Amino acid sequence: MSDRRATGGCLCGAVRYQIEGALASPSACHCGQCRRAHGALGVYTLAPAERYKIKGGRNITWYESSPGIRRGFCRNCGSKLFWERVGSGQLDVTMGSMDQPTGLKISKHIHLEDAGDYYDPPSR
Amino acid sequence: MADIEQAPVRATGHCLCGAVRIEIRGPLRDVVVCHCGQCRRQHGAPPSYTSASWPNVTIHGEKNLKWFQSSEQARRGFCRICGSSLFWEPIGQGRVSISAGCLVKPTGLRTVRHIFVAEKGDFYDITDGLEKLPQSMTASMA
Repeated sequence: MSDRRATGGCLCGAVRYQIEGALASPSACHCGQCRRAHGALGVYTLAPAERYKIKGGRNITWYESSPGIRRGFCRNCGSKLFWERVGSGQLDVTMGSMDQPTGLKISKHIHLEDAGDYYDPPSR
Repeated sequence: MADIEQAPVRATGHCLCGAVRIEIRGPLRDVVVCHCGQCRRQHGAPPSYTSASWPNVTIHGEKNLKWFQSSEQARRGFCRICGSSLFWEPIGQGRVSISAGCLVKPTGLRTVRHIFVAEKGDFYDITDGLEKLPQSMTASMA
């Protein structure tokens, strides 16, 4: 494991996180749930189990968007932070909430069949 | 107001959980993608916004809409239950930007431009060939 550490948090600063070690290339999700929640693509990397810490977790509201799946946002400023398969121990983290520079680049687009109609999705 | 209320509904939208629903009458602006650092953090990715005149927007479930004052000039509206980003309002201008993602398809909208690309995040590239502005739009584009 490298000695890299990623940090990030919400717009108002009520929630902060850090993730130890190298991170996977992010995926961009074009599904309708992400589009509505984010007003954008859902762009996430993965924080593996036991490699992340959250400060201000009491300021997170969790919303169960599908059975067994929940999305976490800051209840004060509304920043979208996390997507979690409950019980997996790992956490998907929004790239937009991560402090710059992240050193990461989107490598995959998913759920293109469900993309919004106001843009041309990439071909992969 | 009577003529506004009688105008046909141009678009409808709602948050992920459905607690906040909107109807828009009258014209919608083309979609603009904002790459500023505030938008990136709040949405979790660069957001796509259309825009409308405030009096043309009807909100159902307004008690579930929470506003966060993100700067002296603007506030952001999101659903307090599911967190969906719905609005960006430049205060006192009589208009509101609406997340294109919350609108029901078909939206009939097209993305035309990227703004605040000088603040763009490092985890993506802009490759669609559309106009890119380093900062904001001029008033005539808003």
